[in-house]
Amino acid sequence: MAAVSQGFKTDLLGAIPSLRAFAVSLTQNADKADDLVQETLVKAWDKHESFQPGTNLKAWLFTILRNEFYSQMRKRGREVQDSDGIMTARLAVHPAQHGQLDLKDFRGALEQLPEDQREAIILIGASGFSYEEAAEICGCAVGTIKSRVSRARTRLQEILKISGEDEYGPDAISTQVTGTAAH
Amino acid sequence: MKDMTKEILTGAAGRRRNGSGDPLGPNSEIGRKLKQYYDELVSDDVPDRFAQLLRQLERTEPAQKKD
Repeated sequence: MAAVSQGFKTDLLGAIPSLRAFAVSLTQNADKADDLVQETLVKAWDKHESFQPGTNLKAWLFTILRNEFYSQMRKRGREVQDSDGIMTARLAVHPAQHGQLDLKDFRGALEQLPEDQREAIILIGASGFSYEEAAEICGCAVGTIKSRVSRARTRLQEILKISGEDEYGPDAISTQVTGTAAH
Repeated sequence: MKDMTKEILTGAAGRRRNGSGDPLGPNSEIGRKLKQYYDELVSDDVPDRFAQLLRQLERTEPAQKKD
């Protein structure tokens, strides 16, 4: 078995912030996320020879992390992520005022999504993967990712009471402008 | 600006609506929040345990040529 190259090690280190972000998005828990990243790094190290240099290391690592997450969930018998009480409390999100949507409210809304939808919208909308890459990471068809993203987006809009994003009436546009200025 | 285009695009096709044709793009509130949420996580300080872990993995590797 070949030794792990310095380049591979450096790339692993460089990928840690993204891995942690993805792990938190999946687990919704910082401690579990870091344990998951640790497992991922150990696995990646062990099977470094199966990585094809020149291909997307980040996608490869995300795949490992995701598989690890779901296998842990299976082992634990899919413990429920959140209690119903907390969910209900989080449902009470105020309608966005002047297009300003609180990040905390957003986080709460994201947490309410089923895992498959949450991971899809994160991979596409935040991690910068293409639909093809996301499909590969999740081991499903591109069309499946597309429909998950679309359902996730609709659900988030419902929870956060964002209306009009699809319509772009005059109100929606002024909302967009305000939102942009605040970013 | 592009408002007219957006309104025109709205009706039928539905899927690709916003400026860049990306439903999670910068014209979408959800898209912006997603990035804000994620960027905040990415910019979080990385605990030292990970660098330590990699050093440890390197040491426990079967004695072979490095690199």
